[in-house]
Amino acid sequence: MTKLLEVEQLSKSYRHKTGLFSGTKIVALEPLSFSLERGETLAIMGETGSGKSTIARLIAGAEKPSGGEIRLNGKPLQATDYAERCRNIRMIFQDSLRSLNPQITVGKQLKEAVRFNTNWDAATQQQHVVETLRKVGLLPDHYHFYPHMLSSGQQQRVCIARAIVLAPQIIVADEAFVSLDPSIRAQIINLILDLQQDMGISFIFVSHSTEIVKHVADKILIMHRGKMIEFGPTQVLVNHPKETYTRHLLQTGTL
Amino acid sequence: MNILDIRNLTIELDTSAGPVKVIDKLSLQLAEGEIHTLVGESGSGKSLLAKAILGFINPRWKITADRLWWRHYDLLGLNPAQRRIVTGRDMAMIFQNPGSYLDPNHTIGEQLSEAIPSGELKGFYLRRRTDRKVRAERLLHRVGIKQAKEIMQRYPYEISEGLAQKISIAMAIAHSPKLLIADEPTTAMEPSTRAQIYRLLGKLSASQGMSILMITQDLTTMIPNSQRTSLVYCGQLMESGTTEQILNKPSHPYTQAMLEMSLLDQSVAPKSRLPTLSGAIPTLQNLPIGCRLGPRCPRARRACIQTPPTTRKKQHSFACHFPLSEDE
Ligand SMILES: Nc1ncnc2c1ncn2[C@@H]1O[C@H](COP(=O)(O)OP(=O)(O)OP(=O)(O)O)[C@@H](O)[C@H]1O
Ligand SMILES: Nc1ncnc2c1ncn2[C@@H]1O[C@H](COP(=O)(O)OP(=O)(O)O)[C@@H](O)[C@H]1O
Ligand code: SF4
Ligand SMILES: [Mg+2]
Ligand SMILES: [Mg+2]
Repeated sequence: MTKLLEVEQLSKSYRHKTGLFSGTKIVALEPLSFSLERGETLAIMGETGSGKSTIARLIAGAEKPSGGEIRLNGKPLQATDYAERCRNIRMIFQDSLRSLNPQITVGKQLKEAVRFNTNWDAATQQQHVVETLRKVGLLPDHYHFYPHMLSSGQQQRVCIARAIVLAPQIIVADEAFVSLDPSIRAQIINLILDLQQDMGISFIFVSHSTEIVKHVADKILIMHRGKMIEFGPTQVLVNHPKETYTRHLLQTGTL
Repeated sequence: MNILDIRNLTIELDTSAGPVKVIDKLSLQLAEGEIHTLVGESGSGKSLLAKAILGFINPRWKITADRLWWRHYDLLGLNPAQRRIVTGRDMAMIFQNPGSYLDPNHTIGEQLSEAIPSGELKGFYLRRRTDRKVRAERLLHRVGIKQAKEIMQRYPYEISEGLAQKISIAMAIAHSPKLLIADEPTTAMEPSTRAQIYRLLGKLSASQGMSILMITQDLTTMIPNSQRTSLVYCGQLMESGTTEQILNKPSHPYTQAMLEMSLLDQSVAPKSRLPTLSGAIPTLQNLPIGCRLGPRCPRARRACIQTPPTTRKKQHSFACHFPLSEDE
């Protein structure tokens, strides 16, 4: 059986646009390969600038790779099959409020995505959106709310609703929990665990929190200066890390 | 000796629902060279408290206190000019969002050189300029940035958020302040960098007698050698004590909940649902009367609509009608 997601020899480099180093190449990501199964959660960890967000953006299709290939269910994802990719792989950003359109109600924003990607009639679209809001713990009333009328936790729920509304196979979240309060963050983690159980969604998340990673991840990928230095099951990396750097990263976070 | 002494500080703001006590009778003490961690979820008034200490205040805010003293200065008694002098000389702050405090038009090196006080430099222009550069480089090394020379050439948009945070810490400690207020300075950092920054802050506090008020959202991101910890919720002080006490023998239901939610309790099985406080943090317009944790508190009873009295035992204080008993 083919794997849900296969990443092979994926790489990315940028060019300095200004300053002394103008024109020189920055290698953000050296070729790396890993894979993910259905319903699994992968955590990406590493120090700042190590390339975590770059991986997230490449998988979500927000940027084009410089080399290598990403396959979903065995089929290479090219920049061309944009619509299909949008449906299957959804991204949640850290700054939830800024990623929502302040001028449009929550319900309309979700309905847009449904309208573009299905051929359902308006009533079915609306019903599906209300159902999705309910799944993330919001009320049908929230359909008519503007984003600024919601608390940060509710905004994050809206972002999750927007991510799952098309029943994707993978959700990519780049430090989506950092700015959440502990009580809201715990609620959101529970929500994600529930959704994963109900819908079998795979989840890729970038996080600095050792505690959260140990709690929710099945696999961990460790980045260091653009290189993937370790990848494997959570228990293995936590208990028998190959690299001292991994041990450092997974253990210094705790008190 | 307490270098900072705050007793019953109240800050009242005007909102659409009338005046609201955003900080409600909050007391906090900080000894010389001490690291004090202030933990609270968003909207609890942490940043406002920091502004009140630094004197970055709006004249429309109504600030009252039985005591708001820094060393031998009664801060509420000083005029704005005097206050600016005291703040500028003795205090420094690291902000929540460092990226936005860096000037996009100048390199990191230029901005860092600016932060170095001229008084410490000797000699003529050229000598001073090289001196500044060397000091700027040394500051970057001190906050754990290895490629200092290269980083100094860069512009703020060319560096990641984590790096920007380290740079703002370097700027804040450039004039060796006596009090450093750090407002959630490491939220975007990975554990090892955070640990590095904390070691650095711990060292600075020990070697230079610098006191640190470390503001955080979360009990997992606190400086390990912080001596005291206080928890605040919606402007009310829940519990304050030695860090050891807070982490191991909390008396307040909020402290207990924060420990559980932060996964510091090792007994939570992987992938299991986390314990959490239900509901959301209330808005300023809808603060509950009495104990503000009331609607979310698992132990709340009818008595909680009255503001609970503060129990004080030596270093330890908490405000709750139904605190946890010793054996819980
Ligand atoms: N648009 C860009 N132009 C130039 N360099 C870039 C760009 N985006 C990223 N980089 C560089 O690529 C490297 C990896 O960046 P990336 O954003 O993936 O780091 P990260 O691991 O997400 O870090 P953080 O933890 O700080 O978010 C860094 O050195 C960064 O400076
Ligand atoms: N200048 C201001 N005017 C009106 N309300 C404010 C102002 N600054 C903060 N507040 C409100 O006061 C409360 C406490 O704010 P703040 O100290 O920033 O919280 P924290 O730093 O703990 O998240 C929040 O509800 C916030 O919206
Ligand atoms: S006073 Fe009541 S509501 Fe407040 S923390 Fe104690 S038990 Fe909970
Ligand atoms: Mg990133
Ligand atoms: Mg704040």
